[in-house]
Amino acid sequence: MAETTTMQVELKKLNRYKRLKKTIPYWLILPSLLFVVGVLWYSVLYGIGMSFFRIDLALPDNPFVGLENYFNLLVEERFIHSFQRSLIFVAGSVGLGFVLSFAFAHGLYKVKTFAGSFRGLALVPYLVSGVATAIMFRFLFSRTVGFVNQFLVTLGLERIEFLGEANWAMLVIILANTWFIVPFSTLILLGGMQALDPDLFEVALVEGASKLTILFRIIIPLIKPMIGISMIWLTFASFNMFDVVLPLTAGGPGRATEVLALYMYRLGFDFLRFSDGAVVMTIILLLNIITSVFYLRVFKSEV
Amino acid sequence: MKLGRDRLYWIPLVILVVWTIFPLLWGVSSSFKTYADIYRVPPSIIPPDPEIRAYQVVLTSRGFSTYVFNSTFLALTSSFIAVACSIFAAYGFARFKFRLSTALFLLILIPRIIPRASLIIPLFQMWASVGLLDSYPALIVSYTATAIPFNTMVLTGFFRGVPPALEDAASIDGATLWQRIRYIMIPMSIPAIITVSVMSLREAWNEFPFVLALTTSTRMRTLPYQLFMLRDAMGIEDWPVVLAFTVLTIAPILGFYIIFQKRVTSGLVSGAIK
Repeated sequence: MAETTTMQVELKKLNRYKRLKKTIPYWLILPSLLFVVGVLWYSVLYGIGMSFFRIDLALPDNPFVGLENYFNLLVEERFIHSFQRSLIFVAGSVGLGFVLSFAFAHGLYKVKTFAGSFRGLALVPYLVSGVATAIMFRFLFSRTVGFVNQFLVTLGLERIEFLGEANWAMLVIILANTWFIVPFSTLILLGGMQALDPDLFEVALVEGASKLTILFRIIIPLIKPMIGISMIWLTFASFNMFDVVLPLTAGGPGRATEVLALYMYRLGFDFLRFSDGAVVMTIILLLNIITSVFYLRVFKSEV
Repeated sequence: MKLGRDRLYWIPLVILVVWTIFPLLWGVSSSFKTYADIYRVPPSIIPPDPEIRAYQVVLTSRGFSTYVFNSTFLALTSSFIAVACSIFAAYGFARFKFRLSTALFLLILIPRIIPRASLIIPLFQMWASVGLLDSYPALIVSYTATAIPFNTMVLTGFFRGVPPALEDAASIDGATLWQRIRYIMIPMSIPAIITVSVMSLREAWNEFPFVLALTTSTRMRTLPYQLFMLRDAMGIEDWPVVLAFTVLTIAPILGFYIIFQKRVTSGLVSGAIK
C-alpha cells in the first residue's frame, strides 16, 4: 500500500515535470535572450531607424526624412574618401592576412615538433588588445624612437616619416591590423586542415604526387569552406577595425587613414551628426552582409 | 627520414615566431630602457642600462589603481554573468526540443557578426535615454551582451556532445534540473567553460569602443582607455612609461592564457570552424 502511494506521488511528479518541461527551455534561454535582444538587436535596429530621421540637437523634433540622409552622405567628399581608404585598408589586410595565416596554418599543420608551443604562440596577438597593438606599432614605426627607422639609420639610410606620409601610414595600419587579426584566421584554417583525412596524402604520395600537387589539388580544394570563413573573418575584422586605427594614427596624417569605422565615430562623437553616423553604421553592416554572402558563394563546398 | 624536405615547412614557422614576437619583444625591452637609450642608434634589443623607472612611474601614477580596478571588476562581472547565462541557454538548446528552438538559437547567434564598434552610436543613445551613461551597469550589460552569442554557440556545441545517459540516470534518481546542470553538465564541460571564460575575460579586458563612447569621467576609465589617453596627456611622450603601461595591460590576460593555453586553443579551434 505504502509503495503504491509513493509510486503515485512519483508518477504525479513525473507528469508535472513533463508539463513543466515544455516551458523549461524558454526559462533557461530567457536571460541570454534578454541581453542579446535588449542590447544588440535593439541597438542595431534602433541605429538603422535613426538613419531615416534627422536627429539634430538644435532642432525641437526629429522629422522622418526617409533616405535623404543616405543621399546626402553618399555624395559627401569625406565619406567617399573614407570609403576608398577603407577599401585599400581591407584589401591590404585581407591579402597580407590570408597569405600569412595560410602559411602559418600549413606550417603548424605539418611540423609536429613543439607543435603545441608554436600553436600557442600563434594565438598570442589575439589576446593583446587593439589599443596595445596600436601603441606597439606606433612605437616600432616612430620617426625618432622606432626600431624600423633606427635600423634604417644604422644601414646608413634616410629616416622615413612612416606616420607622416599618407601611403606609409596606410601600410603601417595594415601591418598592425594584420598582426592583430591573423591569429584567428590561422586557427580557422588549421582547424580545417586538421579535419582532413591523413590517408588521402598517403594515397597521393604513393601515386607519386608532389608536395605542391598535394597542397593545391588536395588540401586547398578540401578546405575551401574554411578558406571562405577565414576570409570572411579577415574582411569583417578589417572593415570594422576601430581599436587599432584610432590610437595608432587617429585617422592621420590628414585623413589618410580615416577608415569607415573611424569616420562613423567622428560623425557621432565629434560632429554630433548622429543620423549620419547611423547611416554609416547601416552601410558598414550592409557591406558585411554583402561580403559574407559573396565569400560563401565563391567558396561553397563542392562536396 | 624526410628531414631535408620537411625543412621547407619550418620557413613559415620561423616567420611566424619573428612576426609574432618581435613587436612585443621590442616593446618589453624598451620599457626597461632609460629615456635616453630609447633614442640610441644602432638600436639594441637588450637594454644597455636596464632600469625599472618606467614601471615605478606607472604603478604610482594617479588613478592607475582605479583603472586596474575598473578593468578587473568589469571583466570579472560581465564574464561571470555572460558565462552563467550562456550555460543555461546552451543547456536549453542542447537538451530540449521545443518549437522556437531554431529561431531563438539564430536570434542569439546572429549578433555575433555585428561589429561592436558599429554599435556605439545607438548604444550611446540608448544608455543616454535611461540616464546610465558613465556608469558600471551600462558597461557591464553591454559587455555581457556581446559575449553571450559566442559563449552560447561554443557551449551548445559542447553540451550536445556530452552523452545524455548520465543525466537520464540522475533524473530517474530524482535530480532536479539545477542539480543536473550543476553536478553533471558543468563538471563534464570544464574545458568548454574555461574556453568561453577566457574568451569573455579577454573581450572585456581589452574592450575599447564601448568604454570610449559610454563613459566621460576619468574615474570610469579602463586600462585600454587610459592607454589611449596617455598619448594626449603627455606633451613629449615618455616612451618607456607608455610601453610599461602597455606591458602591464597585456600581462594579466597573457598569464591567464599561458595557464590555460592547451584548453583554450583546442576549444577555439573547434569553436572557430563552426
